[in-house]
Amino acid sequence: MSAPPLPRRCAIALIVAVGLALSPAPRAAFGQEPACPTPEGFAAFEAPLPKTAKALAAGSEVVIVTLGGTSSLGSAAGGPSLSWPSRLATALAGRFPATRIKVVNLAMPRQTAREAADRLAREVLPLRPALVIWETGTMEAVRGTGVDDFRDTVQAGLDELRAAGIEVVLMNAQFSRDADPMIHFAPYLAAVRELADANDVSVFHRYGLMRHWAESGVLDLRTRDSEKRRRLAARLYECIGRAMADFVSRGGAAAPPSATPGIRP
Amino acid sequence: MVSVTEAGRDLRLDFFRGLALFSIFVDHLPDNMVAQFTLQTVMFGDAAEVFILISGYTAGMVYGRAMERQGFLIAAVRVSHRVWQLYVAHVFLFVIFMAMMAYTVEALNSSLYAEESQAADFLSDPGVAVVKALTLQFQPAYMDILPLYIVLLAVLPFALIGFRFWPRVVLIASFALWLAVQIDGRIALSAYPGPNRVWTFNPFGWQALFFLGAWLGWRGTHGAVPWLDRRWLLRLAAGFALAAFVIRLSWTLHGLYPPIPALASGKALWLFLSKEDLGLLRFASVLALALLVARLVAPQARFLAGRVAWPFVICGRHSLHIFCLGILLAVLGHLVLNESFGRILMQLAVSTVGIGIMIAVAALMEWFAAARAGAGGRVAERAPLSGGES
Repeated sequence: MSAPPLPRRCAIALIVAVGLALSPAPRAAFGQEPACPTPEGFAAFEAPLPKTAKALAAGSEVVIVTLGGTSSLGSAAGGPSLSWPSRLATALAGRFPATRIKVVNLAMPRQTAREAADRLAREVLPLRPALVIWETGTMEAVRGTGVDDFRDTVQAGLDELRAAGIEVVLMNAQFSRDADPMIHFAPYLAAVRELADANDVSVFHRYGLMRHWAESGVLDLRTRDSEKRRRLAARLYECIGRAMADFVSRGGAAAPPSATPGIRP
Repeated sequence: MVSVTEAGRDLRLDFFRGLALFSIFVDHLPDNMVAQFTLQTVMFGDAAEVFILISGYTAGMVYGRAMERQGFLIAAVRVSHRVWQLYVAHVFLFVIFMAMMAYTVEALNSSLYAEESQAADFLSDPGVAVVKALTLQFQPAYMDILPLYIVLLAVLPFALIGFRFWPRVVLIASFALWLAVQIDGRIALSAYPGPNRVWTFNPFGWQALFFLGAWLGWRGTHGAVPWLDRRWLLRLAAGFALAAFVIRLSWTLHGLYPPIPALASGKALWLFLSKEDLGLLRFASVLALALLVARLVAPQARFLAGRVAWPFVICGRHSLHIFCLGILLAVLGHLVLNESFGRILMQLAVSTVGIGIMIAVAALMEWFAAARAGAGGRVAERAPLSGGES
């Protein structure tokens, strides 16, 4: 059996972007507004995050932990400060200037769901976050890990987080037309959706959002030139960071009462 | 259309196998709205269950009969020949996969997935991937059901001997193995690349469906099974199938429009819906539908011999060829949909054209078989046999 050596995880990126310190947003310097609107109803039916929204508005200290893989690290854009968690911190700081917002990015290159779940007790809970954003399902799709196994792993992680009273947003894989024919994302996207429905947590549908941007010509995800690709990644992460800021500050008023599914376990 | 109505053939098998083949093709197209309305919408489970059950039934019938008429050795050689054909088809699909990989690998490596995809071992070490594909351990997308079919069919001769002498022992053992898999998820076959990868379809779980089908097919050549005709069983099956239909449809609609509630969904059911291990609800769902069809549709029902059913029947009759063609078309459809960003209309077009090509090729094969039979007559005695086997 030629089990490949696990990728060396030497780089443990820990970005603590203290929102207040970054208040003059980097984009303002360039004067470029990335116009990447989310489609209408993007978050309309997602479970709200009342505690997080309340804490953000209350002006105290809010800790948000992000878990994920390569695409949450910002390396494709040039560095951790250009990752979406970092952009999220900036966007939230702009929106809630009175609140001390800490976004702690615990993403690691190629982190699997199991590796992320194993870190919850030791590294996530002590930070006492109000919200954990868990980007997951990518490595499982790339490696073809069993879907049942993936679902059980994330379920155990969700149980742990929710027992600690932490709100959770699940983020699914990136959309890529180039990866799509080789890597089958559908079962893992579906599993993330099922996990969210069964636990009444919300999904930030990154796959769908990126597909929407690619379809509507907002982002050209297929650029081959490496410099262009770096700029594309930077813009993409900024767009996602902002969309995520919208997403987490929706609060309890997001879904109109009539739109709340009747039977959601 | 005359060839379809040949006497003695159970057209239901062809029809539903054809339906499963269309379903497999449509389900394999990416982000395809049409896939929301295939077999998986009306039952727990999908085309895979239908395909394996019918394949088991047909194999039990054809080779069971062969064993009784020609002896065990001849039957075993015929099964082996069929296994070889399936294996060749598997290798053919792998070549398609490799071609696709060659076509996309450069784009993948310069995409936002570049770093993650390095972990896809088949890209960094394609030589190993080739060997693992030949040993059925490498099962990339599209290449998971034939390995299952191959190993199940390879074991069939032994099951046939068992059916003859100790049918109950075989069935109980098969069911017990399935049950063990449900209880202990670690009973699985490991696959490449490791360490956590297992066969997409766990043969220890799925064998129960195949061999139950094989037993029914074998038993059917010796007259009806009396307890299958019980009225309460039919009622139970109808009730279950109806409940499965309503629940499953509500999930689909909920996915399309979240305010519609997803009935009876939740963690508690996951164990019973496992596709990997053939969970209880999937197993029961396909059996209930099979019983309903067996009781309510005659083997040569008018409808099955008619114009509407004809495309399904001929595709089901040449199932191995049409299955491989469907996979090839799904790969091509993938590329088309990715390039053109197909929205619903494009998805509908690709699905329709693909199914059209499948039907056209099946019709060509029908015509050719008939022409050969007409010319020489030599093929005539082979035709039902090869059809039954495919």
